[in-house]
Amino acid sequence: MYTLEVQNPVAEQRGVVNSFTTTPRPKSLDGLTVGLLWSGTHGGDVALNTAGDLIKQRFKNVKVNFYNGNNYPAPEHIRQKCAEESDVVIGATAD
Amino acid sequence: MIEIEKTGTPAVPIVSGRFVEDAVASTRAFGMPSLQWVVVPRIYRNLEHDLCRSQTADVIDELIGQLTSEMDARVSDIDTVGGRTYEADDRYEAVLAMNDDLISEDLGDGLPLFPATQEAVAEMLTGTNLPPGHVVCDMPPGFGIATVEKIAINSVMAGAKPEHLPVVIAAVKAISNIQADGGKSLLMSTSPQAPFLIVNGPIIDELGFNPRSAIGPGRDNQVNTVVGRAFAMCFRNIGYWYPGKMDMDTIGTTRKFIQCIAENEDMSPWDPFHVDQGFSRDESTVSLFITDGELDQQDQGNTTAEGLLKNLAYGCVFGTKSIQDKGHTQRLILMPPDVAGPVGKQEFTKQAAKEFIQQNANHSLGKMIQYMPLEGEARVSEKWKWLENLTEEQRLEIEFPVMDSADDCYILVVGADRAKTAILPSGPAPVTEGIDQYRA
Repeated sequence: MYTLEVQNPVAEQRGVVNSFTTTPRPKSLDGLTVGLLWSGTHGGDVALNTAGDLIKQRFKNVKVNFYNGNNYPAPEHIRQKCAEESDVVIGATAD
Repeated sequence: MIEIEKTGTPAVPIVSGRFVEDAVASTRAFGMPSLQWVVVPRIYRNLEHDLCRSQTADVIDELIGQLTSEMDARVSDIDTVGGRTYEADDRYEAVLAMNDDLISEDLGDGLPLFPATQEAVAEMLTGTNLPPGHVVCDMPPGFGIATVEKIAINSVMAGAKPEHLPVVIAAVKAISNIQADGGKSLLMSTSPQAPFLIVNGPIIDELGFNPRSAIGPGRDNQVNTVVGRAFAMCFRNIGYWYPGKMDMDTIGTTRKFIQCIAENEDMSPWDPFHVDQGFSRDESTVSLFITDGELDQQDQGNTTAEGLLKNLAYGCVFGTKSIQDKGHTQRLILMPPDVAGPVGKQEFTKQAAKEFIQQNANHSLGKMIQYMPLEGEARVSEKWKWLENLTEEQRLEIEFPVMDSADDCYILVVGADRAKTAILPSGPAPVTEGIDQYRA
């Protein structure tokens, strides 16, 4: 019987070593502002606007803001504006 | 979305179809394994709007749930520490079992792998002056921590020798310096972008890199192939460039069987490329380009510099032109001695040749932007907004330079005799890294 022992080629990821946790969620979207952050590709805007419309139908006094990120990832100043003006954000990876 | 979450605002992306594995890998790579998302079946980009709406409506309950409920963090099951043991009747059978196992887990390139035993890795590490635990960089796109030891393990698996290790280390370092983020978005793209490696300096002869018919299989390209493969193995198992996870190609390319070629410095009328990049001629370097295509531009009898360069300029119109903010169209030209020689002899400096090519590489703008429907397309930079007011015929009639500047044109002399040039759409700008600092 022959025993072959080999070493592990896979590296640890920096993002796993230094990871962040997600933000606490609101209980409801009533009265909140929903940010829709578009990466700029065809169809992603339609998806986000659909989500915004459906959320407005289901919750009271919801405000929806649309942000054109123009790219993936969205430029920092647009991300910042979106985050500052929104209580929750929805994005779409369209391609 | 992760950057939004980091500011304290809950964020949920809608993820399309086959991008689920990409989402899992990306959350680990970018530091938030607990990020939530919802999945729709199809990619939106070429979908009719009714289908965009209906597949979004189908996941709205889940989307609202993700925005209003706390979710458990996803736990990574990737083992980065433990080795593996294979028992068989003899060593040959054990190596076959190892290959079945590693390739089935996508830890290889599909070709047979060499066993990274403790002894083989120790031998590989003699090729560098760096200690095994030294961190070279966080390697994109998955930002795995590239220790010298992990680079050595992957180099052994690729069949490299200790003297190749410094080249591989330098190439790993180089890719981490492509743009501010290692070019991660490009590398993860649905287009077939792939790294391309070229060495310069004394190491070409010392290690036996082939600068002539430099791309392809066979005896003459053994070093080119093995060093490129070692880098590709690192890219996979350290950079997490796994197909379907952080490499989302639509079709793919054989350029992902990466080769590390050499410039034919002896046959060049100009300074070698690494001198253009600020190194001295007697230093050894590796330069890393990101390419997304390859064209053989044949010349059938030109002998004048202008004729040869005009033909090359025509070849440069192959490919596309970006009209995005961050898009930057470049061309890597692997110019054979039978083109470079006459061009240099007829008083063209390399810079003059680049300028001539840039000025003559013009093409129909409408074709270069691929007849793209601009209405509803947000990725058009302000300086190109005027295109939206033109008809398709007008866009097709406008001739425009493929490259904005001669600096977007990179010339390296490579090849055997015959005037056949390889032109590779490329970008962003390449990175050149010194090799000597990593040698034993």
